[in-house]
Parts: sequence; structure tokens; C-alpha cells
Amino acid sequence: MTAAPIPATRAGRPRRVVERGRRRSTLLTIIVWITLIYFLVPLLWLFVSATKDNSDLFTSFGLWFGRSFQFFANIGNLFTFQNGVFAQWLANTVLYAVVSAVGAAALATACGYALAKYRFRGQGLVFGVILGSIMVPLTALAIPTYLLFAAANLTDSVWAIILPSFVSPFGVYLMRVYAADSVDDSLIEAARIDGAGEFRIFGTIALRLLAPGIVTVLLFQLVATWNNYFLPLIMLNTPTLFPVTVGLAQWQATASAGGGAQVLFSTVLTGSFVSVIPLIVAFLFLQRYWQSGLATGGVKG
Amino acid sequence: MKFRKTALALASGATVLALLSGCAGTSATTDSTKPVTQAEIDKAMNTPTTLTFWTWVPDIQNEVNLFEKKYPKIKVKVVNTTGGAQHYPKLRAALKAGKGVPDVAQMEYDYIPSFTQTKSLLNLEPYGAGKLKSEYVDWVWNQVANSSGVWGIPQDSGPLGTLYRDDIFTQAGLHGSPATWDDFAKAAAEVKSKTGAYITDLPGNDMFQMISFFWQAGAKPFSYDGKKTVGVDLDSATDQKVVAYWQDLIDKNLVATDPDFTDAYYQGLAQNKYASWLVAAWGPVFLQGTVKSTSGKWRAGNIPQWTAGANVSGNWGGSSDAVMAATKNPIAAYELAKFINNDESSTLMLANKQFLFPTTKATLSDPAFVDQKSEFYGGQQVNKFFAGVSNTVDKKFEWLPYMDYVNSSYTSTLGKAIANHGDLKAALAAWQQQVVNYGKQQGFTVK
Amino acid sequence: MTVLSARAHSARASGASARGPRGSRHITGAQTRAAWVLTAPFLVVFAAMFLAPLAYSAYLSLFTSQLVGGEEFSGLANYVRALQDPSFWSGLGRVALFLFIQVPIMLVASICFALALDSKRVKGGRVARLLIFIPYAVPSVVATLMWGYLYGTDFGLITQIFHAVGLPAPDLLSPQNILGSTMNIVCWEFIGYNMIILYAALRSVPDDVYEAAEIDGAGQIRIAWSIKLPAIRQAILLTIIFSIIGSFQLFNEPNLLYNIAPNAVGTDFTPNLYAYNLAFKNQDINYAAAIAFLLGIVIMIVSFVVQTAINRRERQS
Repeated sequence: MTAAPIPATRAGRPRRVVERGRRRSTLLTIIVWITLIYFLVPLLWLFVSATKDNSDLFTSFGLWFGRSFQFFANIGNLFTFQNGVFAQWLANTVLYAVVSAVGAAALATACGYALAKYRFRGQGLVFGVILGSIMVPLTALAIPTYLLFAAANLTDSVWAIILPSFVSPFGVYLMRVYAADSVDDSLIEAARIDGAGEFRIFGTIALRLLAPGIVTVLLFQLVATWNNYFLPLIMLNTPTLFPVTVGLAQWQATASAGGGAQVLFSTVLTGSFVSVIPLIVAFLFLQRYWQSGLATGGVKG
Repeated sequence: MKFRKTALALASGATVLALLSGCAGTSATTDSTKPVTQAEIDKAMNTPTTLTFWTWVPDIQNEVNLFEKKYPKIKVKVVNTTGGAQHYPKLRAALKAGKGVPDVAQMEYDYIPSFTQTKSLLNLEPYGAGKLKSEYVDWVWNQVANSSGVWGIPQDSGPLGTLYRDDIFTQAGLHGSPATWDDFAKAAAEVKSKTGAYITDLPGNDMFQMISFFWQAGAKPFSYDGKKTVGVDLDSATDQKVVAYWQDLIDKNLVATDPDFTDAYYQGLAQNKYASWLVAAWGPVFLQGTVKSTSGKWRAGNIPQWTAGANVSGNWGGSSDAVMAATKNPIAAYELAKFINNDESSTLMLANKQFLFPTTKATLSDPAFVDQKSEFYGGQQVNKFFAGVSNTVDKKFEWLPYMDYVNSSYTSTLGKAIANHGDLKAALAAWQQQVVNYGKQQGFTVK
Repeated sequence: MTVLSARAHSARASGASARGPRGSRHITGAQTRAAWVLTAPFLVVFAAMFLAPLAYSAYLSLFTSQLVGGEEFSGLANYVRALQDPSFWSGLGRVALFLFIQVPIMLVASICFALALDSKRVKGGRVARLLIFIPYAVPSVVATLMWGYLYGTDFGLITQIFHAVGLPAPDLLSPQNILGSTMNIVCWEFIGYNMIILYAALRSVPDDVYEAAEIDGAGQIRIAWSIKLPAIRQAILLTIIFSIIGSFQLFNEPNLLYNIAPNAVGTDFTPNLYAYNLAFKNQDINYAAAIAFLLGIVIMIVSFVVQTAINRRERQS
């Protein structure tokens, strides 16, 4: 890919010289806020549903509360059902997501930086293979992956989820672009002349400059692992190791399984509602970082 | 061999090597036919052992606790596997990897042949299972046993009946559930014109309901000799009669064709869209949980008959606990499977707490089970009713060793025709053809 | 074991390149060594977690297996079979249709939102931006579950609303509509995500470019069309490529919709779903691997063609 003709500015730098914000367009405002309904109605429905019992769920209007307000009862059920395994699932999800995100960001940062700032044999091939890997449909290769993991005694363990999540080809791509843009070659040269070793340059100078990019990779891998369904589904058997996605899907299946089933629709919906909150909060609080990190990754290619 | 080496080099890792060597030693050779002695059993049950048990029965830990109390040396690790959709793929993956295979696994009757075909199940006959035959309902026992052995201990079953809305039926001028299929068709027209409801729903996604109708009509669509020969007779005269019957009701718009067990389906039940459900003995508990608002309005009746005056039912669902051939503790594993599904207190608990419809004659006549009155069914003794139905199920019914394929093929042939109101007869023939072709392609001799 | 052997391998490789440095700048052995040490951790995990399963799948795809008789080497037979398999082609056709309809709709919507928000003419733009982005944080499992309820044939929210205003409700789960319903779920999940990438790109275009145009009297739409969009075309290309990959690999949404609309979705709705069902339900891992590889090849070809076409047009203009 070619670089954009207009050089990207360093992320986060204020750029508006003239305050254009005062000229609002009512029409545009109305259009944007009306389309917002589309994005919010499903979530509103989810919240309203989390306040209903099974019976109300199937008999009352979807966007308004039912005959009784069962939200707290549902939350109670959610966290006590099957000895409170849901709390365990939440904890697992946090563990998997955080460890994977940190690991993936660390690996991607080191690799992306090296690809951007050094010239070495096989560099093009390495980058090409990493990028090409994005195109391989992994779900279809699930069973071979499972068999290899089983051979290495990794199935049904925490590692079966965390180790594969350390690989973020997109993260490497993003960090390479980001490093090329935000770590100046002259800065590195100056450090070398001062006698700093390569790793010291990376550890002290580069890392600080790369911070917004690192946060971006961290957050996106956090989301990817948090939302991951397929990998844990095939790798894990022990319910106490499940992340929330697999656990909820299991409850949903139990709700419509064969003999001896239990009816869990409202519990599943309440669980779904609870499970999306942490990520939304994380994105809201960390938006300054990930938006600036993305800016560079998107413009330069 | 040479090729294998190249592939290994390509894979660039020692894991592949470990895998290939790991795979070599998986096929189990535990097929001794010598009966196990009491001394061996006592020794095994007094040796500290941990068993892994895969099942999707909720709260089965309670029954397992009874087992562990009786055999304190044996610890059981219960793994709840979600149910069929994940249970079998996971089991097969574990078998293929040769690692993580449980000792005991829940197994639906129709899945047993696909696991005996791969020699993955332990023959329980030498462990004493043969002696249990007389304690189970005949047709149920035939589901787990064949001439070459006993492959599981029956856990629950699903004799077919009719659950109907007494209020809607009364409004339509009907008294009780229709006795014959002809009556049922007439009733369908009455219900539709007087109440606006469909008499029932015929889902296009539920092969096992359709097969239970075939079963009830006396068809024998599948056979398997346990080795390489299968028989496929889906396009038989009997099955054609059954689909022609439903074609008529679909064409007249007297039955709904929504997928079952979805939230929309329960909403349909709650909102009077369907006036009855042709369902197995495990159906009553489903309704109690999902459509509480209709409590007291439901009744249970017989499945309609093809011949007036006859009393024949079919089966829909049900499962056993099987012991995997790979187990290192066959005796303890067998004792667990047996205890859960044979011990009086355990089977009664399964029946009354988890609502699994029983398979033992003892529980089916136990007053603590059959004498219960259900408010939801207007005080009717639903258990007693279905216990009676269980004795009318046609005794011999076999499955193919590849029901997974038969099922997905159904969804794209007959099931699709039902959902889209198409030509059921042609779809039945297409289903037959696909199932035959697949059998041949997989190396079976198809009769 | 894997880790050790791969590390040994990379050590050898770095030794080799250290002996023969090249490039115009003076590159020391220390730098080459540093480059390999920094890339090694990723590459090791990448090889173990990604390349090894890939190679193993490639190996498996060269065998055919039967329930009776087991596995035997059959060369490219699985690939030949796949190329003649109507299920593979119909799935591929469906994702191609998805690509041609859903991706343009989604990206145009993303671009419009990004431009609208970047223009600073929307009140509460900051909040709006975040709200549009929120669906990305919802797992596809939950998103599909939710939309499945909303689509519900008789009692879903959409049907309820249609009935409330006295209109006949469309059956969103029918075979004719299910592809559109899937497109809608994917749009809902990813409009915000793409919007954020494009918005971030717009933000880093210097303001003076617009101001000059504004002084020249150009309208907002004209500025958006002839200045802003060209300026972020690399970001647009990026979102296009990712959307192409995403479309071809469509799996989670149809797999979960299968539970509520089994006859409409079927087992071969998308090639990825087909491969999954082959592997997990029919136990035909070998054939599934061949399908997966063919799909990967198709994705690479399409991505390459699109990228070349866009870049060529850029050079021409």
C-alpha cells in the first residue's frame, strides 16, 4: 500500500484553528439523531427484556416494561443459578481478555517496531505472511487446530484461549504503520550516537512514543477476546473455564434442549445485558487513546 | 511415509509429530467378553478412582452425590456439555485426539450406532448389563441393546402423546383429543374456523418429531447390521402416507409450520396460536416453564391413530448413559451408568426433579411418580397417563450410524418443503436419495 | 517443544543474515540481531498457533476419509470435489451477493456518519459518535440473539410495530429475507466501527486545506466529495479490504440464526458455515479443510483485485 500524500499529524495534536463548532446544522443534527434510534433500539430492548420474567417476555410489548419489574430478581437468578457460575464466567472473560490483550499488544509492538525501523533479510516475506494470514478462514480449520492443541495437552485449559489470542496480525500491521510514523529515525540515530543499545532505544524512547498505538491494539484485542465465541466453544469442556459468551450460549441451548430442560430465556437475556456493560464502559473511558491510535493506522497504509 | 515427512517439515513444529504418534494408540481394545466377577467389582469399587461424566441433564450432581455416598472411594467429575449440538462434536473431537475422552457419556438412542460403528463404546454385557433387561420397558431396552451387546443404560424416553388446550378445543366444540388422524384433520378445520388457532405446529426443523410419526405409523425407515450394511427405506408407502396426510393440512392452512423450541414457538403457545402439541412425555414440563399464563388449560391425550380402535404410539427422544471404550476404569464407569439409571432413589429423582421420563418398570409404576396430580393440566395425572402410553410404543426401531447427516439432509429436503409449503412427497424422495448416496459415499453397503 | 525448535530456527536465521548485511544505510549486526529478537516472540507464537494448524490442515486436505474404511491419500480429489459441489458454489454466490449489497451500504453509511460528525455541525456529535460505535462492543453472539428476538415472526418487536400501525408484517426469517436480515445485523455491528476508523482518518487531515476551499466559496458537500474523501482514501481502502474478508468469512451470525430459522439458513448458507458443518456434523475434516483453503484463495484473489483496481484508478486520476 502506498502512503497517503498528506502527511499525518502526530495523533492528539489540536488542529482546529478556527472554531467551526458554532455553526450547527439543525437538519444534519436531526438526521443523525434519528438514525441513532437504529443503533440504540436493540440495546434498549435488551435492557427492557432484562426486567421481565419468562412469561412477560413472551406476552408484553418489547420496548416497554412488563406487568412486573423483575430486573433485580433476574440479576439474583443470574448470579445464583448453578452455584453462581456466571460470576466465574465474568471473571474468566476478564482474565482472558486482559492477559490476551496485554500479550498481543506486547508481541505486536515489538514486531511492528522491528518491521518498521530495521532492514533485514526476509522482512518483506514476514510482513506479507502476517498480512496474508488475516485472509485465512480460521473457523474452518477449527478441528485441525483442536487436534494439535490436544496433542500438546492444551485443550480444556486457560492456555487454549490465551495463547492463540496472543496473535494479532492486525496489531502488527497497525504498530508497524504507527511506529513508522511516530518514531523519528533521527531520534534513533541520535540515541545510537550517544551509545544507547538497540533494546534500550526501544524500551526507553520508542515505547513512550508508541503508547497511543499500543492502547489501540490493546483495546481491540480486548474486544476480540471478550467477544470470542468460537475458539473457547471448541477448546473448553469444563464449565468453570468458560467465558461469558460460551456460557450464555450454553444456557440458551439448555433453554431449548431436549428432555429435562429448564427455561432460562430471561436469565440468558439478563446475562447478555450484564456482559456488554464492561466493554462499553472501557471504550467510553479510554476513547481518547484508541481514537488517536486509529487515526494513524487508518490514514497511512 | 515419504509424504508424511514432507508434511511434517512443512508444519515446522514438533506438535504435529506428537499428534501423529498420539493418534496411533487411540483405538480401544477392551472388548473382552468374559463376565466380570463380583470380586473384581468389589475391588474396583473400593479403589480410589476419578471418573469423568459428560451429560447435559441439569443438576445431575444430586444423583451423582447419591452414587458417591454409596461408593465413597469413587469421585465423579460431572461436565455439563450443553446438549446435543455441542455434546457429540466435542465427544468426537476428543475421540479423534485420543485425549480428554470421558468415562461415561450421555448418549441419545439414535446416536448409539454412530459410536458403535467407530467402536467407541464399551459393551456392557460382560459387566452385568444383560441381567438388567427385564427391569426396563421392552422397546426402550431394544434401543440400547442388539445381538452384539448392550451399549448404554437407558435414562429417559419420550413416548408420544397429544398435549392440547382444553379451552380452545371446547370452544371449537371438541371433546378430548381426536382419536384418529381423520378426526384430527376434521378437528383442525373446526379449531381454525371457530377459534382462529392452528390445531398444531409441524416444524420443518425437527426431524425427530417426523420420525416419531413414522415410528407410530409402523414404518421401519432405517436398519444397521452393526458392521457395513445399512438399510434406508424413508420413501416407503407408510412414510408417504404420513407426509401426504400433513401435505393436506398444510395446503389447507390448518397447521402452522414454525420451527419448534424457539422463543417464537413458546410465544405461539402462550398466545393461543397453536391448540395442541404432538409431543413426547417430556413435553409437559416444557409447557409448565414457558407458558405459565396458560396454566390449568392443558390436558394430555393419546396420539391420534391410523386405525380406529388401535392404540399405538411412537417415541421421540430419550437417552442413555454409555461407557466409552477408552475408559481406564470400565467397572466403576459401568457402575456409575447403572446406578444413575437403575438405582430406585436415583431414577425417582430423575423423574420427579429433572422431569426425565422414566425407563424402568419400577419407576413407571411407583406411586411417588405416577400418582402426582398436575395443576397445569387441570389436576390430571399426566405421569400416569404417559406411563400407560409407554407400553404402546412400537417395539422395534433402528437408527443409521450417521444420523447427523440424515438430520441436516432432512432440513434441506423434507423439512424445507414443510417450512416453504412445498411438495412433501418429492422432498421425501429427495431425502431418501441423499441419505442413500451419503451411505454409499461413506463406504457402507446400502440395502 | 514447539517453542524451542522455532526459537532455534530463528536464531539460525538471524545468524545467517548477520553475516551478510545489506541495504543502503549502515546496518550493524547488532541492529539485525535486535530486529530478529524483537520479531521472534510474535513469530514463534504465530508459527505455533497459526502456521502449524494451517500446515496440518493443508496436509489433511489431501486425504479422503470414509466412515467405513478410514483415511487414504487422494491428492487433490477434495479440491476437485469442492469445485463440483453445488453447496460450495451456492454459499460462495451468497457471500458474493452479501459483499455487493451489504458492504457498499455499510461503508456509505459509515462515511456519511464520519463526514457528518467531522463537519462539527451536529449538536451532541461527541455523544452521537460514541453511541453509533457502541454496537461494536456487543459480542456477535449477543447481537444475533437480540436481533433474532426482534425479527421474531409472530411476536418480535418489528412485527409488533407493524401490527400496531395496521400493516402486514414481513417475515424477516423467511428464506427470501434471511440474507437481508443477516446483512442488517452485520451493518448494525460494524457501521460504527468503520465510522470510527474513517472519522479518525478525517481528523488527521489538516484544517487549512478546508479553510482555503471555504474561502474559495466551496459548499460543504463539495468539500466533502472533492477534498475530504480523496484525503482518506487509504482508510477507505482499508475498511473495504476488511469488509471483503469479513463477508467471505461470514459465520457467527448465520450459525446462530440457524437456531431460530433452520430451514431458511440451512447448513451451507456460507462456505465457512458449510466447512464447519462438514467438519463437526459430518465428521469430514479432510473435505472441510479443502473448502477452507479454496475459500482462503478466493479471498486473497478478490482482495488483491480490489486493491489493484482502486490503486490504479488513483494513479490515473
